[in-house]
Amino acid sequence: MELSSIKDAFDRVAKKQKLSSSKSQEVVDQVGREIEQALATIQSPHDPSILDQKSILTELKSKLNAIGALQQLEGSHKEWNQSLSKYQKLLEKLFNPDISKAYRNVDFDTHIINQIIASHFYRQGLSDLGDSIINEAGEPEATALRSQFLEMHKIIEAMRGRNIQPALSWVTANQERLAKIGSNLELKIHTLQFVDVLQTGTRADALKYARTYLSPFASINKDEFQKLMGCLLYAGRLANSPYSELISSTHWEMTTEELARQFCTLMGQSYESPLSMAVAAGVAGLPTLLKLANVMAAKKQEWQEMKQLPVPVDLGKEFQFHSIFVCPVSRDQGSDENPPMLLPCSHVLCKQSIAKLSKNSTRTFKCPYCPAEATVAHCRQLYF
Amino acid sequence: MEMDSLPNGNNTTGTPIAAGAGANPTAPPSSNLPQLTESLKLEHQFLRVPFEHYKKTIRANHRAVEKEMSAVISGVTDAAAADFSPDDAVNHLNSLVSRLQGLKRKLEEGSLAEHLQAQKCRARIDHLESADADNLSEWNNTRLKRILVDYMLRMSYYDTAQKLAECNNLQDLVDIDVFQEAKKVIDALQNKDVAPALAWCADNKPRLKKSKSKLEFQLRLQEFIELVRAENNLRAVAYARKYLAPWGATHMKELQRVLATLAFRRDTECATYKVLFEAKQWDYLVDQFKQEFCKLYGMTLEPLLNIYLQAGLSALKTPYCYEDDCTKEDPLSQEAFRTLALPLPYSKQHHSKLVCYITKELMDTENPPQVLPNGYVYSTKALEEMAKKNNGRIICPRSGVECNYGDLMKAYIS
Repeated sequence: MELSSIKDAFDRVAKKQKLSSSKSQEVVDQVGREIEQALATIQSPHDPSILDQKSILTELKSKLNAIGALQQLEGSHKEWNQSLSKYQKLLEKLFNPDISKAYRNVDFDTHIINQIIASHFYRQGLSDLGDSIINEAGEPEATALRSQFLEMHKIIEAMRGRNIQPALSWVTANQERLAKIGSNLELKIHTLQFVDVLQTGTRADALKYARTYLSPFASINKDEFQKLMGCLLYAGRLANSPYSELISSTHWEMTTEELARQFCTLMGQSYESPLSMAVAAGVAGLPTLLKLANVMAAKKQEWQEMKQLPVPVDLGKEFQFHSIFVCPVSRDQGSDENPPMLLPCSHVLCKQSIAKLSKNSTRTFKCPYCPAEATVAHCRQLYF
Repeated sequence: MEMDSLPNGNNTTGTPIAAGAGANPTAPPSSNLPQLTESLKLEHQFLRVPFEHYKKTIRANHRAVEKEMSAVISGVTDAAAADFSPDDAVNHLNSLVSRLQGLKRKLEEGSLAEHLQAQKCRARIDHLESADADNLSEWNNTRLKRILVDYMLRMSYYDTAQKLAECNNLQDLVDIDVFQEAKKVIDALQNKDVAPALAWCADNKPRLKKSKSKLEFQLRLQEFIELVRAENNLRAVAYARKYLAPWGATHMKELQRVLATLAFRRDTECATYKVLFEAKQWDYLVDQFKQEFCKLYGMTLEPLLNIYLQAGLSALKTPYCYEDDCTKEDPLSQEAFRTLALPLPYSKQHHSKLVCYITKELMDTENPPQVLPNGYVYSTKALEEMAKKNNGRIICPRSGVECNYGDLMKAYIS
């Protein structure tokens, strides 16, 4: 976004302010000098018949009038004011001055929001922030996931310090559940340690490690196991071997990330923070919603009560969690009552559209996309 | 309804798990600069609040300077008119000189404060400028934290806001100092003390008048009710004469209603007046103050978090989110988010967007969907992988039905 005009406008405001500031100092100095001069005149030895204090004071008063201190101050302040309003107008032009126009006055329970925020902090490993908000908000019930996320972070911290013990104990404790999701995490963690031993220890040490910890995987993960055995040839010089990727720091990071992902899966949680996702979706979608709210400004009631947004809000690929089928003919969304059907020509329409085209299942009909003909009987329901 | 749709693109999203412990953020997908520009346009409040604060400081300083200077000049005028002896004149002038010296010192201090605030305004503009393709993930992360600090300040969770700002070096990017001003007033109101609130109204009189605010009126009404509660009826009447009468022209009905409480005791059972004696009225005052405060500083009335959450939840909401087998990666699979999203409208699609059950990737022209004999659909990528590992056999993960890769049929979805 082109922000140089904003920067320039603000620089002008700051400059006017500095000018105004130095002008004020100047004026104060001027006034001070005149008063001090009058003081000196009164105090210096002179003929009291020529000048008395009253006339000196009167002369001082007219001198101050001539300076017009207050007018000068007002003048520079006014200039500053003008640059101010220019900046403000520019802000309103370049930015959306009211992003709450799309807000709906529905019940947004603060307790739920506080719980979401607390869970978010626990998930990020910021336990003290999570505790802090629970304290201040008074939500003692929100600590459900606290201990689990804490455990996960302890394991991750240990992995960062090249200590795989906590990770191993967790994996062993959850062996069955991990097997169900098809995880080979245990082997991966042992791989990390094995490679470490290869780098720092002797070949014999590495072999011993392999015999103790890697052999259980020999048959289940044959390819992986054989690869690791191949590493033995390059003890101490893996960096120059075809297996160099195994010692890169990203390897530890990737394994740690995979562990975190599977930990979350077993917890029934997502890997990414749902709060981050929801807010990111909001950031992506709010501009469209604001435009929509503007267009519908006259129909406030309709805005508050609509059941479905009338326009699509484009989010990125990573926000697509569900398959949405939209019939190209009716623009209806697929549902249980109106599922997508595959025509013999490989095009897909929704059931109701097919019913309409075939005059309620009686005749053959033409696919709207290609000249192929079909009957209702030849159409198959699809499951995405 | 036709509207120009935004280009479909990727926006980096969630924070990686160990963001707090300083891990490298996962690399963002190709960033979408038009979308970034659109999102920057939402940051009006971000720039406006420190600017309002800056304006206020300068105006207040200017008023103080004018006042002092005016006092000095009238000091001279008075001296010229009066009959002073030389000594008196000298003393008088000396006092004016020292006043001016004091004023000079104040000017310097004020100038420094103004400079710092100008720097804060600039720092925010720079922050907006710093967002680009390379640091998008981290910049978005910071945005989420800013939004959270804003929420906590609105809800008066000052400690947590402070902690969050400190551990991420966000002090310049959040408005904790502005809310400290509000905190004083709110704390006092919660202790049934309207003095700081009235002082705040006096400080901001011109702007409150412009927006036709009746906050001061409501504060005065509450003081009146407290006098009635304490059965100080005579004082209450005197108070009303002095402070409430001026508002009679514009708010007569409300004034009459409250004045009528004089006829009742504080434990009256009469519904119309009972409600005026309740402690809840103080909470209402706090809310009113918060509203006026936010309006003055150009802040939205609702916390930013609520605004973004509502938009996001609505954009994500589909009927499938509420089903039991909704993927856990969808925020709307969580009970809390589901509850929040209940009253919000569903999202709408104009074109099919299909997600492969196995890989969770989009099934489009580069990765077209293929149909098994039983109607279940998966992406070409997933099915090819499966066939490779299984000698050309395909096993549907949901129905268990088996077939050969060759039995699959491509589907054309527009």
